[in-house]
Amino acid sequence: MMNQNNNAILHIDHLQKNFGKFQALKNVTFDVYPGEVFGFIGPNGAGKSTTIRTLLGILRASGGTATLFGKDVYKDSVSIHKRLAYVPGDVYLWPNLTGGEIIDLFLKLGNTKHNRKTDMMIKRFQLDPTKKARTYSKGNRQKVALIAAFSTDADFYIFDEPTSGLDPLNEEIFQQSVMELKKEGKAVLLSSHILSEVEKMCDRIGIIRSGEIVETGSLSDMRHLTRTVIEFQTMQPTTELQTLQGVHNVTVGTNGLTTFSVDSDQMSYVMGYLASKQIVSLQSTPPTLEDLFMRYYSSNEGR
Amino acid sequence: MENRNFHQTWFLTRFSLKRDWLKLALWSVTLIVLFAAVAAKFTTIYDTQASIDEIVKTLKSPSMVSLFGKLSGSAPYSTADVFAGEMTVFMAMMAAIMNFSIIIKNTRGEEDSGLLEIIQSHSVGKLSNLSSSLIELFIINLLIGFFYALGLQFANLTGTDTNGNFLLGLGLGAAGFMFATIAAFLSQLVDNSRSATILSYIVFGIMYIARMSTDVSNPKATWFIPFGWVEKFSTYQENNWLPVVLMLGLSLILSIAALWINDHRDIGSGIIATRPGRAKASAFLRGPLSLFWRLHRTTIIVWVIGLLILGFTYGSIFNTIGDILKTNPAMEKLIGATAVHKANILIIKHFVAILMIVFGVLALFPGIQIINYLKSGESKGYLELIHSKPVSRDYLFTSVLVLGILTSLIALFAGMLGLQLGGASVMKHPVAMSVFLHGFYAYISPVLIILALSACIVGWLPKFAVFGYLYTGFALFVGYFGKLIDLPKWVAKITPFGYIPNVPVRKLDMGTMWWQLGIALTLIIIGYIGYHIRDLKSAN
Repeated sequence: MMNQNNNAILHIDHLQKNFGKFQALKNVTFDVYPGEVFGFIGPNGAGKSTTIRTLLGILRASGGTATLFGKDVYKDSVSIHKRLAYVPGDVYLWPNLTGGEIIDLFLKLGNTKHNRKTDMMIKRFQLDPTKKARTYSKGNRQKVALIAAFSTDADFYIFDEPTSGLDPLNEEIFQQSVMELKKEGKAVLLSSHILSEVEKMCDRIGIIRSGEIVETGSLSDMRHLTRTVIEFQTMQPTTELQTLQGVHNVTVGTNGLTTFSVDSDQMSYVMGYLASKQIVSLQSTPPTLEDLFMRYYSSNEGR
Repeated sequence: MENRNFHQTWFLTRFSLKRDWLKLALWSVTLIVLFAAVAAKFTTIYDTQASIDEIVKTLKSPSMVSLFGKLSGSAPYSTADVFAGEMTVFMAMMAAIMNFSIIIKNTRGEEDSGLLEIIQSHSVGKLSNLSSSLIELFIINLLIGFFYALGLQFANLTGTDTNGNFLLGLGLGAAGFMFATIAAFLSQLVDNSRSATILSYIVFGIMYIARMSTDVSNPKATWFIPFGWVEKFSTYQENNWLPVVLMLGLSLILSIAALWINDHRDIGSGIIATRPGRAKASAFLRGPLSLFWRLHRTTIIVWVIGLLILGFTYGSIFNTIGDILKTNPAMEKLIGATAVHKANILIIKHFVAILMIVFGVLALFPGIQIINYLKSGESKGYLELIHSKPVSRDYLFTSVLVLGILTSLIALFAGMLGLQLGGASVMKHPVAMSVFLHGFYAYISPVLIILALSACIVGWLPKFAVFGYLYTGFALFVGYFGKLIDLPKWVAKITPFGYIPNVPVRKLDMGTMWWQLGIALTLIIIGYIGYHIRDLKSAN
């Protein structure tokens, strides 16, 4: 573990943030390593943006530590920001400046310049940089921030729900661009609501709920925590199914098929039971991130 | 109400009144209390005919006419006449500020923020928002005017009559509504609230300057200027309701024009469209300081040129003001030409001493606006991306501070330069620039204190950023009116300007300057600390 901590780009340990009496972050702990895309998911108001703003040094932590490149995110924010690029969820741009001017300004503020990659990105996202920002739609404003971020040569990228205003085509371009960063060995923190996106791109995932990280790990690590949905038909009736441990939501369809979900750790026992009833057909659906997500959020008791 | 263009207008009016009630209440109460309090005070200050004659003499001097408008009617004057002469133009100016801010926010502002789009998507007429905003302001101005009239009734100044009380009260209300319709009309021409505000104040500035010069040179011509109509009430003398009719007539025309344009344009657009700009940033736009300059460029230029013009206009009446021979032709023989010239210069210096506070305060507004950008830009979310760049908070703070201070000082200097140039354009022996520079130097320290205070507030309590404006407005009120309404001396000492009296008649006091600069520096340092450690807010 110690070893891992050492090469982590982002290291967050028991981070806390209070706004007055309200505890926005109670316990946030996770690491992000070079060459990985870390998915940061959670419902609205769980503390994703608060965590990110703390990492940016915009907010001051009330407790715990957070370091980027081994430096304190608040005290050393300026030197950290030299190697960091950020795209907020809601991009607000100065209405009387053009998109092109704003992109260049952001690059200059990051001590870089308008480069070949900038032009490539403008082309890729099909942005008209001559328009004043007040005429841009939400998606176009996001493109401005994305183009500036992607053409910055940073080591750590933070995207806070960056695709909420993009059309599917641009979403695809975004994903492709993130994958390129990953190949170059950059670290990416991606907060998102689009679970298919996270599932597709992220190596590891952290789930935050009410200011606490409730789960971190790779998707496959997490699968054991989830339930598999099974649809089957047997020769003999399976009356005891409902009473078995780890079996949930048993429904009998009109076509003779029964559907239920089963906890991964009870899988083999339940399969044995079904086999004893002479299986005619069986189909299993692997747990998706969405199931996982729902399981953490919809119920109050958590796991 | 069946008309689809105006569908739900009443509902929106009620909704706007409910949404804006605090703002409306604060404005109304402040204005009414101010008006009534001054009226009540007048009964004690100008209770003898001698004191009235004294102030009338002052009010009739060209310098006072340029500031307060022409005193109408003829002797014998009563307390009520003096009150109407002093307060009318000032209250109309206040009404303009209030109406501009509310109507632009409720029409263009709602359009900018996209709220109007949500409202329009419901079963609401296309013109309902504009018409409900106009109705809202009509109601408020009517109420304010009515309370003004009631206040005058209760103050019961010597020489009042009910007709005059209601004329002055409702007339000022009508003026307020007229300003609202002017801004509503101008808001339709441009496509964002910032431009609408700038344009409205430019039009207002032109009217103010035109009113001032016609008042001094040819009062009849003031009839051609809508802002000048308030001076034509001739309250308590002829009680002329014609200006009120004119104001309401103009309001009606402007309202119809605004509604017509609104009906013929798309949401979010204007007659003067935003043009595309450059695809790449210029080499100049490279950091916070140049960004802030770029964002406030128009504002800064408008203020600096505006103050230059205002100064020039005031300066161009110096020959009328500084001419004691006009009132007393025998003077030259008595004391000699040189002495007369000296006396003339002294009169002008006294006039400049009153103007100083006006220029000081006007120069402060753009400076405070720039410093407050750390708050307004922060809460609108514009600064979030800047905060993620390798730009320290200290650097941002320094940038707005430097730009704000430079803007205020340059604007103040422009005003002084305008005065000198204006004077030089009409006088045979112009007042030397050094006189105005004395005023400028003396005002540096109080201006810095107020800017430093704004910076300190933005550093610690951004919620209260508006305090800088209020404090400045208070300083204007005290400086402009303090002597006329006989405010106690300590009131003037609440603002830093109170310690710099009568410049450039009196010389700048180095001791005062140093302790004021010391306070400014302390406030700035405290502000730095606050901005360094506080959480930055975000748009959502």
